[in-house]
Amino acid sequence: MSIEKMEYVIIAGLLKNLDISLEKCVESGCFHMGDASKDVIDTSEGLKRLDEENPYRNFLRRIIAIETGDDFEFSEDSFEDITAMPESEAEEFVSDAEKEFNEAAKEISQCNSEIKERNLILTQLRHLKGMNIDLGKLLSCTHIKVRFGKLPCDSYEKLSYYGDRTFIFVPYDDDGSYKWGFYFAPGNSIAETDNIFKTLYFEHISVPDFVKDSPSAEEVKITEDIKRLESQKAFAEKKLEQLIAQKGKILNKIFCRTKYRYDIFEMRRNAAVYNDKFYIAGFIPKSEEKKFCRLLDSIDEVSVVVKPAENSGGVKTPVRLKTNRFSKPFSMFVEMYGLPSYNGFNPTTLVAVTYTLLFGIMFGDLGQGLLLALLGFFIYRKSKNKLGAIMERIGISSAFFGLIYGSVFGFEHLLDPVYQKIGLKHKPLEVMDNTNTILIGAIAIGVVIILISIIISIIINIRRREYAEAVFGNNGAAGLIFFTALLAGLAGTLTGKANLFTLPYVLGLIVLPLIVMFFREPLGCLVSGKKFHMEGGIGDFLASNFFEVFEFFLGYATNTLSFVRIGGFIFSHAGMMSVVMLLSESVSKGASPIVIILGNLFVMGMEGLIVGIQVLRLEFYEIFSRFYDGSGLAFEPAVIKYNTDIE
Amino acid sequence: MNAELNATVAKVRAVYGKRLTDSDYAELESRKTVGEAAEYLKKNTYYSDALANVDASSVHRGFLESLLHRAYYDRYEKLCRFQNLNDKPFYNFLLIRSEIRELLKALLFLNNDEKDVYIESMHAHLLRKARFDMIELAKAPGYDALLQVIRHTPYYNVLKGIEPFKDGHIPYTKCEVALRTYYHKWLFDTAEKELSGNAGAALSDQIKIQVDVINLINAYRMKKFFSAGADEIRSKMLPFYGKLSKEKQNLLFETRTPEEFIHMLAGTVYGRRMELTDENMSSEQFEKELIKMRCTAAKRSLTFSDNAAVSIYSYMYLSEVEFSNIISIIESIRYNKSVSYMENLIVKL
Repeated sequence: MSIEKMEYVIIAGLLKNLDISLEKCVESGCFHMGDASKDVIDTSEGLKRLDEENPYRNFLRRIIAIETGDDFEFSEDSFEDITAMPESEAEEFVSDAEKEFNEAAKEISQCNSEIKERNLILTQLRHLKGMNIDLGKLLSCTHIKVRFGKLPCDSYEKLSYYGDRTFIFVPYDDDGSYKWGFYFAPGNSIAETDNIFKTLYFEHISVPDFVKDSPSAEEVKITEDIKRLESQKAFAEKKLEQLIAQKGKILNKIFCRTKYRYDIFEMRRNAAVYNDKFYIAGFIPKSEEKKFCRLLDSIDEVSVVVKPAENSGGVKTPVRLKTNRFSKPFSMFVEMYGLPSYNGFNPTTLVAVTYTLLFGIMFGDLGQGLLLALLGFFIYRKSKNKLGAIMERIGISSAFFGLIYGSVFGFEHLLDPVYQKIGLKHKPLEVMDNTNTILIGAIAIGVVIILISIIISIIINIRRREYAEAVFGNNGAAGLIFFTALLAGLAGTLTGKANLFTLPYVLGLIVLPLIVMFFREPLGCLVSGKKFHMEGGIGDFLASNFFEVFEFFLGYATNTLSFVRIGGFIFSHAGMMSVVMLLSESVSKGASPIVIILGNLFVMGMEGLIVGIQVLRLEFYEIFSRFYDGSGLAFEPAVIKYNTDIE
Repeated sequence: MNAELNATVAKVRAVYGKRLTDSDYAELESRKTVGEAAEYLKKNTYYSDALANVDASSVHRGFLESLLHRAYYDRYEKLCRFQNLNDKPFYNFLLIRSEIRELLKALLFLNNDEKDVYIESMHAHLLRKARFDMIELAKAPGYDALLQVIRHTPYYNVLKGIEPFKDGHIPYTKCEVALRTYYHKWLFDTAEKELSGNAGAALSDQIKIQVDVINLINAYRMKKFFSAGADEIRSKMLPFYGKLSKEKQNLLFETRTPEEFIHMLAGTVYGRRMELTDENMSSEQFEKELIKMRCTAAKRSLTFSDNAAVSIYSYMYLSEVEFSNIISIIESIRYNKSVSYMENLIVKL
């Protein structure tokens, strides 16, 4: 799978046909407009960008501002049946809806604010409960003034300082941070008392005029009042519901029609204009060229010029990844890292294959794998989340490797009868008895993946005509030879089968590639016929290249060893499941299944997540870092966004 | 002091990890009102617990300050309580310093005949912790009455020899130097008694730097604002010599101008760690540079020390700087100061 071939398109025509042309571009669903027109304007004299006030903005704002409540949301809908509706009729409809909806919403909000106010008073009254005083009388005293509120507990401690002053503070409740209460003082010293309490951060709470009775009696009255307001609110809400049922559909259609026109008008800004003519530039996938041209050809006096993307005159070509059904969800990981450049390499299939394999190897369990796949299936069906589709695939891989390890939800011998039936004495791979095989196997997988990555890097560099990097670089032919020769030599020596480290072998396949990598810059210049400038003198050149080559060498070693984690996780999975089994044996028979279920869920949740992250880390660090730049621009076809975000 | 207190060391580092970040400061500086800043602290920082029960959007600036101070002090108590360190004398250092601060505030307001102002600014959360009755302290009508309130504390012996002036005013600076000298002597003595080896040296180092920073700030202020001579400066310094020897301090005090002072300081162990590029720098800038240097030392000792006392002492200094950063930002917001003005005031940790 590769990157979709793109075509550079220039649409030109009479200005009066601009809107219809843009509509067709949107209808095609494959026209990437971006900032392509900017390039046409920059390079051509006399061309200018259209900069007009969008005439649909105010009307759209009015529609969006209608208070339709939480149960109604504007969404995409066909508006074909109201295409013929005159603008004035739509305006009238919106005005009526505005009035009715806003009236109902206002009533609801008024009820809400009155309920909120009464609830606040109730809170105060609850703090006053037990005090059998007539609030009305207390508040209407002429010579004694009363203030209700709350005093920070810290400030309360300071009150003893004011023992000689003519006020009394009566606390009636304590919530840990504040003392709720009231203070009273003679009318002639209330101002001074207010000042003192202000410095003590007393928060005064006004008691409304309608509170006149004792706290308990007032509480009953206000509770009743809240009930009345609640029913009034419910009535208003019902009214709003009815309005939505009656007018919601048409209102949404008018919204969609207006948003369509608004967005199309906004797209006019991407057009370049010269007198009464317009130009729009953009990209379309080559596969959709015919469909696109057919759509545009239907407009009179509009011409379409299609050129290969390479002839776009420096405009960055957007990228759309070509994927198959299996690898499609894994494009999420590729996009997470950044899209490849247009002439780069689409690594989605490589990621799909390696990710699925590595996850399965590291998290091999038939039961857990199938459960993971099932979970992924439901997630994908319900939310279309790509992660769900990935879980389906890696779950099946996990189940497959579970079959090889003979593990089902941690039961290591459950499949033994099956193996015996097919003629095997025992499970194909006993994890805990094959430590070395697994670790060496993990490194072998790593070596293969690194070699594939280096080969891809060489191909990409040849395609980009960067021959120096393709031949002399650490991810080029020199690196490939060095890495392969070193590993082959080590493998031969360690297994005792052959000692490859003879003088010609070492000099030709190990030392020479290292020297080539050391002098890769001058050699590159030599091949391309450029003059090599040694910046900073020979000393600098030797020192920096020495360290760089040393780093390459370290890189090969650490990258390869990094794959040991594959083996590590196989053991960790088996180890964790054996702990779960041990725990289940140590509890009563009744609790044992619960421990097994919880243990399995825990291992799936924790280890599954860690393995998922670790494999992604291997993808990004050990594979992508060798050939991938992730600097591509995403292909985004012009569409109408039926949301309420407007500038 | 041994490895069993490593848990406290780890805890201190963990709490330090929750400090306000550069982006927190940027967010705070961008707030238009004190309420907005308080709301940010409540919703996005580790001050959320301290502000949990207050309506941050309408909180009074003074109340906010007292809540933040309480949070700062609570943090210290929590760290000391974590492994029951409260019964070890050294861990009373912040209580003693806070008592001295309250005492000095009371003296200052008494001198200015503003007793009611003192009660307003008093940190009420210390009322039950201080070893003297702070309410009685606030009520004290004169110096003698004030001494009676603290009679049973060590501060009495420190202050009893200081006579008020003939007009009844209290020699505040003398009291301040005496109390601060008492505090630092207590710190040095207790640290020596309770800690030995590397930990003792590390703590003593922190205290010495702290003393030097106080002396340098005071000396520079006296030189810059009062053109004070060497003798006058010497009489108002804390009588300890940290990383700056007596001779070097004397040379600094004997400089004729603030510019000369900075020029000479630039050649010392402290000057080399500070950015003293401009000899005409403002007093605020000079103090900021010194505090930055002090913070670096505290951070280093917090990172490398495995001793609980060193860690808590260093952390509380950093925490205090953070507290004063927030107060500076809140004050600046209140007086509509620009972001660059705030940036000049705060020391990022």
